[in-house]
Amino acid sequence: MNPETSFLASRRHFLHQAGLGFGGMALNSLLQAETRLPPSGKPHSTPKAKSVIWLFMRGGVSHMESFDPKPALNRYAGKTIEETPYADVLAPERFKDLRVVVVNDANGKTRNTIYPLQVGYQPRGQSGALVSDWFPHLGGCVDDLAIIRSMWTTDNNHGAQVQFHSGRHMLDPRVPTIGAWVNYGLGTLNENLPQFINMGPRFFDKRDGHYLGPAYDAVTLKIDPQKPLDFAKPEGNVTPEEQLLGLGLTNRLNRMAAKGYPGDAILEARIRSYELAYRMQTAVPDVIDFSGESEATKKLYGLDQQETRPFGEQLLAARRFVERGVRFIQIMHGDGAAGAWDQHSKLRENHSKLALQVDRPAAGLLQDLKQRGLLDDTIVVFATEFGRTPGSQGSDGRDHHPFGFSVWMAGGGIRGGIVHGATDELGFHAVEDPHYVTDVHATILRQLGLDPRALEVPGHKRLERDFGHPIEAILT
Amino acid sequence: MPPTFRFFTSLDTSATFLRGWLLLTGLLLWMDTAKVSAEDAKTYLDEVKPLLRERCYACHGALKQKGRLRLDTAQRILAAEVIANGELLARVTSQDPEKRMPHEGAPLKPAQIAILRRWIDAGTPAPENEAEEADPKSHWAFQRIERPPVPAGAFCNPVDAFLGAKQSGHSLKVQPEAERSILIRRASLDLTGLPPTEAQLTSQAPFEETVDRLLESPQYGERWGRHWMDVWRYSDWYGLGAQLRNSQKHLWHWRDWIVQSLNTDKGYDRMVEEMLAGDEIAPDDIDSVTGTGFLARNYYLFNRTTWLDDTIEHTAKAFLGLTMNCAKCHDHKYDPISQVDYYRFRAIFEPHQIRLDEIPGETDFEKDGLPRAYDDQPGAETFLHVRGDPAHPDKETKITPGVPAILAGFETPPRPVELPLSAWAPGARDFVRRDLLRAAETRLADAEQALKKAREARATPPPLQSAAAPASPEAPAAVITDAFDTARPELWTLEGPGWRYQGGSLAQLESTRDKQFARTKIAHPADFDLTLKFRTTGGGTYKSVGIRFDVSHDGSEANTVYASAHAPGPKVQIAHTKGNQTTYPSNGKIDRPIQLNRDHELGIRVRDRLINVTLNGEFLLAYTLPGRAPGGLLELFAFDATAEFDSLEVHPLPLAVALKDAGAPAKAGTTVDPAAALELAEARVAESETGLRSLQARIAADDAALLGKDSGAAKEAALLERKHAVAAARVELLTAEAGKVDAAMKALAAAEKNLQNSDTAHTPVRGSFKALETPEHTQAQYPATYAKVSTGRRTALARWITSRENPLTARVAVNHIWMRHFGEPLVETVFDFGLRAPKPEHADLLDYLAAELIDSGWSMKHLHRLLLTSRTWRRSSSNLGADPQTLAADPANHFYWRMAPRRMESEVLRDSLLQLGGQLDLQAGGPSLEAGGDSHRRSLYLKHSRDDQSLLLATFDDADILACYRRSESIVPQQALALSNSKLSLDTGRLLAGNIGPVSDDRAFALKAFSLVLCRAPTEEELTACLEFLKAVPKRDRLVHALLNHNDFVMIR
Repeated sequence: MNPETSFLASRRHFLHQAGLGFGGMALNSLLQAETRLPPSGKPHSTPKAKSVIWLFMRGGVSHMESFDPKPALNRYAGKTIEETPYADVLAPERFKDLRVVVVNDANGKTRNTIYPLQVGYQPRGQSGALVSDWFPHLGGCVDDLAIIRSMWTTDNNHGAQVQFHSGRHMLDPRVPTIGAWVNYGLGTLNENLPQFINMGPRFFDKRDGHYLGPAYDAVTLKIDPQKPLDFAKPEGNVTPEEQLLGLGLTNRLNRMAAKGYPGDAILEARIRSYELAYRMQTAVPDVIDFSGESEATKKLYGLDQQETRPFGEQLLAARRFVERGVRFIQIMHGDGAAGAWDQHSKLRENHSKLALQVDRPAAGLLQDLKQRGLLDDTIVVFATEFGRTPGSQGSDGRDHHPFGFSVWMAGGGIRGGIVHGATDELGFHAVEDPHYVTDVHATILRQLGLDPRALEVPGHKRLERDFGHPIEAILT
Repeated sequence: MPPTFRFFTSLDTSATFLRGWLLLTGLLLWMDTAKVSAEDAKTYLDEVKPLLRERCYACHGALKQKGRLRLDTAQRILAAEVIANGELLARVTSQDPEKRMPHEGAPLKPAQIAILRRWIDAGTPAPENEAEEADPKSHWAFQRIERPPVPAGAFCNPVDAFLGAKQSGHSLKVQPEAERSILIRRASLDLTGLPPTEAQLTSQAPFEETVDRLLESPQYGERWGRHWMDVWRYSDWYGLGAQLRNSQKHLWHWRDWIVQSLNTDKGYDRMVEEMLAGDEIAPDDIDSVTGTGFLARNYYLFNRTTWLDDTIEHTAKAFLGLTMNCAKCHDHKYDPISQVDYYRFRAIFEPHQIRLDEIPGETDFEKDGLPRAYDDQPGAETFLHVRGDPAHPDKETKITPGVPAILAGFETPPRPVELPLSAWAPGARDFVRRDLLRAAETRLADAEQALKKAREARATPPPLQSAAAPASPEAPAAVITDAFDTARPELWTLEGPGWRYQGGSLAQLESTRDKQFARTKIAHPADFDLTLKFRTTGGGTYKSVGIRFDVSHDGSEANTVYASAHAPGPKVQIAHTKGNQTTYPSNGKIDRPIQLNRDHELGIRVRDRLINVTLNGEFLLAYTLPGRAPGGLLELFAFDATAEFDSLEVHPLPLAVALKDAGAPAKAGTTVDPAAALELAEARVAESETGLRSLQARIAADDAALLGKDSGAAKEAALLERKHAVAAARVELLTAEAGKVDAAMKALAAAEKNLQNSDTAHTPVRGSFKALETPEHTQAQYPATYAKVSTGRRTALARWITSRENPLTARVAVNHIWMRHFGEPLVETVFDFGLRAPKPEHADLLDYLAAELIDSGWSMKHLHRLLLTSRTWRRSSSNLGADPQTLAADPANHFYWRMAPRRMESEVLRDSLLQLGGQLDLQAGGPSLEAGGDSHRRSLYLKHSRDDQSLLLATFDDADILACYRRSESIVPQQALALSNSKLSLDTGRLLAGNIGPVSDDRAFALKAFSLVLCRAPTEEELTACLEFLKAVPKRDRLVHALLNHNDFVMIR
């Protein structure tokens, strides 16, 4: 065997990884490719979708005031739950899945006095699904949405954000998030761009890859032409020409050094990473340069209004990333440690304001993807870590509620115009077709053609619940 | 035809070895047995046995034999008659969850049941002489460490002797020694984390001397301290806002303890003992006690079980290589560790809590304190949690402290430790009293000084210039008001990406030093009265939030008032900007604590060039501005800060409102009435005087109590405390804001009434600050003294871990050290030496080194020296010229025939850049520094926690604070961007080029640059490339910068 091929296994690994663009590689596995090879980058089954746009409302959106209106709350407003015919929702055995991180917290309690709906609602689209009046534009898209009204989770605090992305409770070890799994499982379609992007305020677990390694963390991107990525431009006085020539010298010297280190996969990976980095320096700013977009498109995303512009810009960028083959774009909405949607008080005032920020851009994204024929192979997810209590907290708020809440999915082989699952009359428990959060992950992976069991990493046991089950009823 | 097979050497990985073994077994069966075909046995070996191993062996194998059933060989299965009587199939297919097997996890899938059925239907064909699962007790890592004989040969160094024997056994040819300069660089980076200087590079000293010099350097402790901080999970505290939730404040004391311990070559055994039980082993020795920072790091405010789970998991993984965490909810599936073992291990830690002890010279625990462990509740009980659920303790099972039963043979029972007074009554320590008394005396002296001045002021009243009166009711209408409830683009220009309207505020969410502001589109009145309500919510170093006025349209001219929450020196500052240059006059500044997330109300009144500033109603500053510009705009800003602006009101300043003259004392109180000032000064003297006296009395009462005397001292102290409370309430009343006067009067009345109280209990002096057990607790609820006896449980654990008989401790430690010198560990699973860790290829070498570590008195420096002076470590990391047979036989270098190149850890990379640029500040130790700041100190001194992370370090895989037994070494394009674009690498290029000095010709420069950055000479080809580059880009700093991006720079070659 000659030295050039002596690292055959790791070279194979390297070539795979190089195709990932931003994917990169973990050196440990690179040197021991025979014991731990990541997947081939090819789907395990015929994919129905190529990309995912993941919209996550941080803080906990009230399901009753968004996608699961409950007239019973108006009927029994001011009464305690025991005084309604649905007192059985409080039966202790129905809380057995709950796992409490913060013992004796002021929040995360069952709130007993029914709080009426703070907004009206009406049937929308041909399907006639009920959507609240805070989401009129998304209501207009309802025939493209699969609304899932029967989500549940086990954390009554904002650690549920970690749980929604990873499937594991805050008290469990950290494991890779759905975006990291997609990044790990699939090869890139554009090696000049990162393939897993995060925009907006991140939840407090700032890593995604965990045991898969930092190469599978999301790359943080800002809608800032000057600095879309960290270290995107020289932090000093360097002309573009000098920069190009300097990188050229580095690459040339690295190739010369390779003669002294034949078959050195790390060296080759380094050379490749510099080439990619240089191309990304131009490719990424291009994506967030909206000058080529029509006024009508910009308006569709709400770029003409101050309230809708920040989220709209991120969504427009997401569409442009999807067009360029990026696999997973994760957009977080709602600032603050807990997330802006966390309305323990002033629910009407703040939820209406926040809904205004996301409603038009999200609807615009769906319409735009559709008119460009991209919705067929792009999954859009609109999610939040939990719902809010049917009972009131203080005079005008709702508390955290993990027992039943709503998300919606669209595109990528998901049926539109359907409502799947249900909570009880009060919106308390998910009672019909309940889904744990990993069912959303399983649905995404299925549509992307990935088998989560084939992605397992030796030494990191996954639990049955980690895998979830695809929500067959919403698939075409 | 018999199946062909080839003999597999141990070169093969375990997977291929297993396949080979299976083939071999199949072959033997085919040859030996007529009744069972190899094909049939194959079904059992390939399908049935793996299924049973995965799902059944944990309870029915060598580990355990529940129901006295073992399923680990076909013979045993048949002997148990579970097939003959149909029990096996009945149980795996049962619909009754109580009966169905396996009890835990998902039921077997139909396809898996079909495998069993098929095998049974075929008549259970199986190989004969099938080996049973080995007895867990015989596991290699559980055997006592015995020093193996060194293989004979021409090797001086045992590392070479052990590996040499294997290499020649496999006919592997080793690579030659690396060139000397590369070796010096390798040694320097390995032992100190810094590249060699030019003098070190060219030194002709023998290599052994170089190693000794590096081991003696204080930078050795910093380099290896960071390694062990990975393994021992160092993290600075984090939480939410000011609330501490994880780890402890001032944990840097433990970091410095690690560095110091390594530099003095404290034994590894002693380090482990001090980390687990320094408070018991040497309660009076602050150094030993500091070691328990290891335990303090696991503190978690919200959930004691999570806290102890982390303590158990990482104590076991770090020191023992045991995954005890897998036995929390049920018995360990692979290792002989029961759930009871888990909770017995927990019982060792159950009594302990964390506290901050006072550090001499500092009475404020926010500023400093020693985080440490101690036994708080010696009688605390432990119960087994059924299925790991803390809500279901098994009150029937009594859990006593102890180590895992399988290794308990050399355990010694805990012996309670009588603690000295200084440990259980930290408030009674001399220095604590001295510091408190000194602080009280200083306060009194200051108050007396102020009183003297107030008396003088009373004698000569200042010229009439009354205090700023509140705006009169007829104040002109506001010209700019905004409550920031909604965006008002007609009024504001928002510059910068971080502005958001949210929750009724205008928030700046991105802390940056870049120019960003909210600027009005209309001018403000020339003379104005402005009120700005805001909160500083976070940020980098300076955390400055405020408002500019007189802002010119290009922003180059302005006057500014801002509040800075800069931790070392919070203040309110007036500044002026002319031609983009900003001045910060010292007489326009006043120190004020600016707390994060508190509502602040900044008041600014400006008339002509005179400005008055108030904060929360308190008058702060009167100052004369150097200039004004009419028609200016207002700008809200947050510099290096995040903030929320709640409202802004700007009115023209009515003529009737008088401003304080700029000549007035900068530190004016809330009143300028000399009589009132005098009254306040007198009240303050009374307060500090009674404060000092009550402190003295409390100390006397503490002494009496400690001696068990009832001398009436407590009664006296209690009375003085009540008197002090009255004096303090009086000061409160005199300084109360308008709205709070009533409450202050009531408080005073209550304090006065309390004088009649005859309660004789005094408040003992506190010399420590206990970490809250839950968020509902307050410090006042905790007693000032602690248990006088510590259980000794942690000492017993520590002694068991460091016992000569413990088979794991030294092996695990050696493996960590080996990996950090050779790139690959000897045992792949560095934190799991349990049954799933196969006996390593180089077990003899591992055992030899483990024995060597123990016998050297656990000297890590001894081990480093032994490893670095081996030929193995000194080999070239290149394949160049390698023997083709060797390459083919061992491409992954399992036999260390060449050195493995490693990438610099993120800290080594940053520190090396700083060093090469001549910027590195080698000051050692002390509080952690802002991660995003511009410090040039070594990277291990930067804050590292969930919320504090240096961007540059994170890009190059810094330690995961949750667990980092082995660093990742990713290669991603972000690293290329960071190294080519970061200020640090650009500066380093420039500074290093400058330091090389005025070398006349490019050739000499390039040679020098190569030598300094890569520690080697360029080839002719490389030199030509550099010279061509310098022709195209005649900038030498760009050449250096290109070399800093070279793979050979970031690699330890």
